[in-house]
Amino acid sequence: MTHLSLKNVSKHFGDFTAVNDFNLDVNKGEFVSFLGPSGCGKTTTLRMIAGFEIPSTGQITINGADITNKAPSQRNVGMVFQSYALFPNMTVAQNIGFGLRIRKEKEADVVDRVKEMLAIINLEKKADSYPYQLSGGQMQRVALGRALAIRPEVLLLDEPLSALDAKIRIALRAEIRGIQQKLGITAIYVTHDQEEALSLSDRIVVMREGEMDQVGTPFQIYNFPTTVFVANFVGTLNNASAEVVDPAKSIIAIDGIQFESAVDLKERKKGDKVRVAIRPERFNFVSQEKKANIVDCRIENITFLGSIVRIQVMIGNSKFYMDTFNNPFLELPKIGDKDQVTCSREAVLVLDE
Amino acid sequence: MAQTALKLKGSPPVSDWKKWLGVTPFFLFAILFLVLPSLRLVMGSFTNSEGQFTFANLLQLFQEQFILDAYWLSIRISAATAIGGGIFGFLLAYSVTVGGLPKPLRSALITFSGVASNFAGVPLAFSFIATLGRTGFVTALIKNVFGINLYQQTEFDLYSFWGLSLTYMYFQFPLMVLIMAPALDGLKREWREAAENLGASTTQYWLRVALPVLLPSILGSMILLFGNAFGAYATAYALTGGRLGIITIQIGAQIRGDVLHNPGLGYAMAMGMVIIMAISLIGYSWLQKRSERWLR
Amino acid sequence: MNILARIRRIPFWSWIWFILGALYFLLPLYATVNFSLRMERDVIGFKAYVRAFEDPDFLKTFMYSNMLALMTILASIILIVPTAYWIRLRLPEARRVVEFITLLPFVVPAIILVFGLIRIYSSPIKIPFTDTTLLQPLTTFEIGTDILIVAGYVVLGLPYMYRSVDTGMRTVDVRTLTEAAQSLGASWFTIIVKVILPNIRAALLSGALLTFAIVVGEVTLASFLGVPAFGPYLFLLGQHRAYEPAALSFASFLLTWLAMGLIQLFTGGQGQASGAH
Repeated sequence: MTHLSLKNVSKHFGDFTAVNDFNLDVNKGEFVSFLGPSGCGKTTTLRMIAGFEIPSTGQITINGADITNKAPSQRNVGMVFQSYALFPNMTVAQNIGFGLRIRKEKEADVVDRVKEMLAIINLEKKADSYPYQLSGGQMQRVALGRALAIRPEVLLLDEPLSALDAKIRIALRAEIRGIQQKLGITAIYVTHDQEEALSLSDRIVVMREGEMDQVGTPFQIYNFPTTVFVANFVGTLNNASAEVVDPAKSIIAIDGIQFESAVDLKERKKGDKVRVAIRPERFNFVSQEKKANIVDCRIENITFLGSIVRIQVMIGNSKFYMDTFNNPFLELPKIGDKDQVTCSREAVLVLDE
Repeated sequence: MAQTALKLKGSPPVSDWKKWLGVTPFFLFAILFLVLPSLRLVMGSFTNSEGQFTFANLLQLFQEQFILDAYWLSIRISAATAIGGGIFGFLLAYSVTVGGLPKPLRSALITFSGVASNFAGVPLAFSFIATLGRTGFVTALIKNVFGINLYQQTEFDLYSFWGLSLTYMYFQFPLMVLIMAPALDGLKREWREAAENLGASTTQYWLRVALPVLLPSILGSMILLFGNAFGAYATAYALTGGRLGIITIQIGAQIRGDVLHNPGLGYAMAMGMVIIMAISLIGYSWLQKRSERWLR
Repeated sequence: MNILARIRRIPFWSWIWFILGALYFLLPLYATVNFSLRMERDVIGFKAYVRAFEDPDFLKTFMYSNMLALMTILASIILIVPTAYWIRLRLPEARRVVEFITLLPFVVPAIILVFGLIRIYSSPIKIPFTDTTLLQPLTTFEIGTDILIVAGYVVLGLPYMYRSVDTGMRTVDVRTLTEAAQSLGASWFTIIVKVILPNIRAALLSGALLTFAIVVGEVTLASFLGVPAFGPYLFLLGQHRAYEPAALSFASFLLTWLAMGLIQLFTGGQGQASGAH
């Protein structure tokens, strides 16, 4: 059931178009991420849902009710800011109870709700601390509790983790997702970090220059990007220009080296220029069994990235990365070695040039 | 070359007492021209005319009615201009920072405040005489427009409590503007948005978040304004010619000639002032620290 | 955008406060100018200005005050720059006590300072328990008085000059600059003259201009120490003239404005707080 809906929403600042024709239906309890580089319009879209920006055109509804022009204070939408935005003059408990007291709820109810929230964000012991006495991760948990205390229809999170250390970021990420699923609240999450979006979301909206580039589940976005931009932005991707050799058999060639793809190329003609994209982890060195694409290569460079080893190979005149899992018994090739690599037909993505 | 670089990096490069040599001139200067003169006043206030130690001078401060009156008048003027100047200066700073006025007005006001907060003493007094004196411009304006003669039909007198207060305001507002503008800039936009997002109106945001956050800063600045007016001498002297007996003017009279016929009492008056100034400075820095903790 | 939001955007009260403030600021200035131009009956003219500037005493006292300001600025720089630099570089443990001293002038206003200075330096300074005079009373000879008043002005300007210089040194990170220059083989002299001073130029200038604004019209110290400075001159002029003091008042306002405007220019809008009143 559609809970939050944006229809043909655009936002112009003077001549600049921040968001162009944004359409999205979000279901109750769904976790949707807006992913894109800075300036892609993801934050502007979020701020339009919160009411801090009024759309130039289009309509935003929650449960079918039009909120497009409502004041932010009348929307009952919870927001978590990148900079925490905790009120420095209030304790943790006062911060969390702020929205409820504004709503003139009974003091006893406020106290109960604050306790409940403190339990959820796991900060019971810090109830009487002031924000300046907390760590960044703790502050952001308080901000989350404060936004959730008012029982919002929708929870908005504006890059909530980007000011935190890597370790805390990952821990808090899991915590946010856990709380969201437990409460079954609809959440919109803005981020420029693809890993965050992939790990948290039910659906991802990839945005570029105010436009929606692709909408899909993390699985779809990662494995089947539909544009070069999405393919590049989400995960590491090898890509090279290639030429269609045989549309019927889906064969293309990179610098004369032929690859067989699982992509249907019947729409294209022989000799068409296309872009080939292959994820690094889809490459393997050739072992005994026969596979679809076996190509010659030369080892250029080897980089350790912890759990994986990234090997740079030259196939023809194009550079490709290939990832293999690290293990102590790994027999690595030497730089300059000639070798053969292979990848399945499904790994070979063909995009427009 | 490598040696000098090493010397800088290595643990104590110069022995401890030699390091302090570098700041000796500064300390020497401070002792000669700041500490010694202050100590002289402190010691003088505990010494009687025979050169013996005594508390009599300090006790006498509280017995001489005209000294108490002088302190009280100074405190009243300083408090009035601190509160009045503080409130109005805050409103002005508000209007050009978060109040939504066009940007150029802000830099105009800040520059003007820099000038006005340093425009004091004789020229300021003359300007106010030309404005609100018996034949002043505004005095005449009020007479012509409203038909009210300030000096005959009202209690107003430029050379009195209110007149001096009004004149002091000319450097008090601007000082407040200069201190409050950065503090108001320290209010994060996100606080306002978070408050709105949680259902607060603009008034609720100001009453529950912005003003409480700014309060230490506002109070601290007002205390600074208080000290600023309390120590002022030249403006009052030029304006009233020494007729209005504020404490600085009484001390001035004592320096010119021992009008109290007791040098020790003069020192005690001065020390009383220093104590009041010190209390206000301590109050100011305590509040300033509190506010920095919040407005980081 | 709906109408309500649009109304909310007109800062009605802000305008009220600003206009009130502007009136309060500008009326005394207007009154002063207006008055100063009416020396001759029914004629608007600069006669008061001409008269005031023609007075040989004006030129003498004004030049003298400028000289005092210059000496004060020089003395301040010589005293404060090496101190602040040394503290940043080698002696951070002295920071607290030095900062405390630079705040003292806020506690000891000009009238108290001059009181103490006069009491100390108007009698000869003797070596304790002997009759040997170490120093003649400074107030009894001209150069002695000049030294005393410049020292007093350095004290009055101390909070501003020190903070200005210290902030300047912090923003350019003199420590790293010094280490970089040393690693390139520069001598101490070269480091200070070619690296440090040029980098804190803006801070020095703003501190100097503020000191100038404080010193040129200063009355309290000048009148009690009895020096022929501009402040006391203007005060005396006001006792028996009407138009010339107004003219000079407005002129000194312009001078202050010039100094502050230059500070704005050098520091990029970081306004400075007030001086001695």
